[in-house]
Amino acid sequence: MDFDSELDASGLNCPLPILRAKKAISALDAGQTLKIIATDPGSVKDFEAFCKQTGNELVSSGEEEGKFVFAIKKAA
Amino acid sequence: MSQRLSGPERRESILSAAQGLFANKGLHGVSVDEIARAVHVSPAILYRHFDSKQSLYDAVLEKFSCQRQSYVDTIVNHGTRFEDALAGMTQVFIKNVAENPDILKIELHSLLEGNPATLAFFQNRWKSFTDYIEFGLNEYLPYDIPNREKTILSAGLMFQGMVREALIQKCLQPQDRLVDLSLYELSNELVTLFLRSIGINKTQLSRKATISS
Repeated sequence: MDFDSELDASGLNCPLPILRAKKAISALDAGQTLKIIATDPGSVKDFEAFCKQTGNELVSSGEEEGKFVFAIKKAA
Repeated sequence: MSQRLSGPERRESILSAAQGLFANKGLHGVSVDEIARAVHVSPAILYRHFDSKQSLYDAVLEKFSCQRQSYVDTIVNHGTRFEDALAGMTQVFIKNVAENPDILKIELHSLLEGNPATLAFFQNRWKSFTDYIEFGLNEYLPYDIPNREKTILSAGLMFQGMVREALIQKCLQPQDRLVDLSLYELSNELVTLFLRSIGINKTQLSRKATISS
């Protein structure tokens, strides 16, 4: 999967990953995708809620090598 | 005689009674028998809903862990400026405690009881603030200030102490001298004082201090 930008939020606690993701997404164009890496288990629900509220699409949400990896596509 | 309740209603009534007892006496000051008596059921019925006193205690704490959603709301609906997000998070936190001061009493008991799992639960609640403050200041404080790292570490602790004491004063030991200051006003004043005391000009901060991607 191709990403237009990547954000490593490893080691950060809620709400820092969300805050940084919001900032990173604001720099993207509509339709572009941001990859986010996080270590906080609560971030799974946080990013679901974040996308539901912002209208951005949570393209994928999974675990890789003990870290949580998300792909969010910016809404039009 | 116990009133007939549905399973979920019974579970909720046990949780509610247990919360009050844990708040007033701590985890170790309450027995399963005492909780069962408070809801007029036998211990056997209580054990149908909760395996142990510890699992009941964990369920009480779990009820208070729902503020993450509000943090996400705060970030989505507020700006990404350091001071806005900090003020928004503080409002969420104090609202959560003000609506149910039992959480504060349980936290204070847990400090004395020293149960590692419980201490970790409460430390995590504060860690959202201390991490946020450390991260934000690390990016935005000038690199040449004396004792920079110590200042950043101490700032998180200072904020935690300030907010916790405000909650104790307003929720547990109402003071006459603070009667004209609501908890929310007090919280805003404290955030402002906090920013000023660590040497950050609030106007300057609001113009440039955003958390970068």
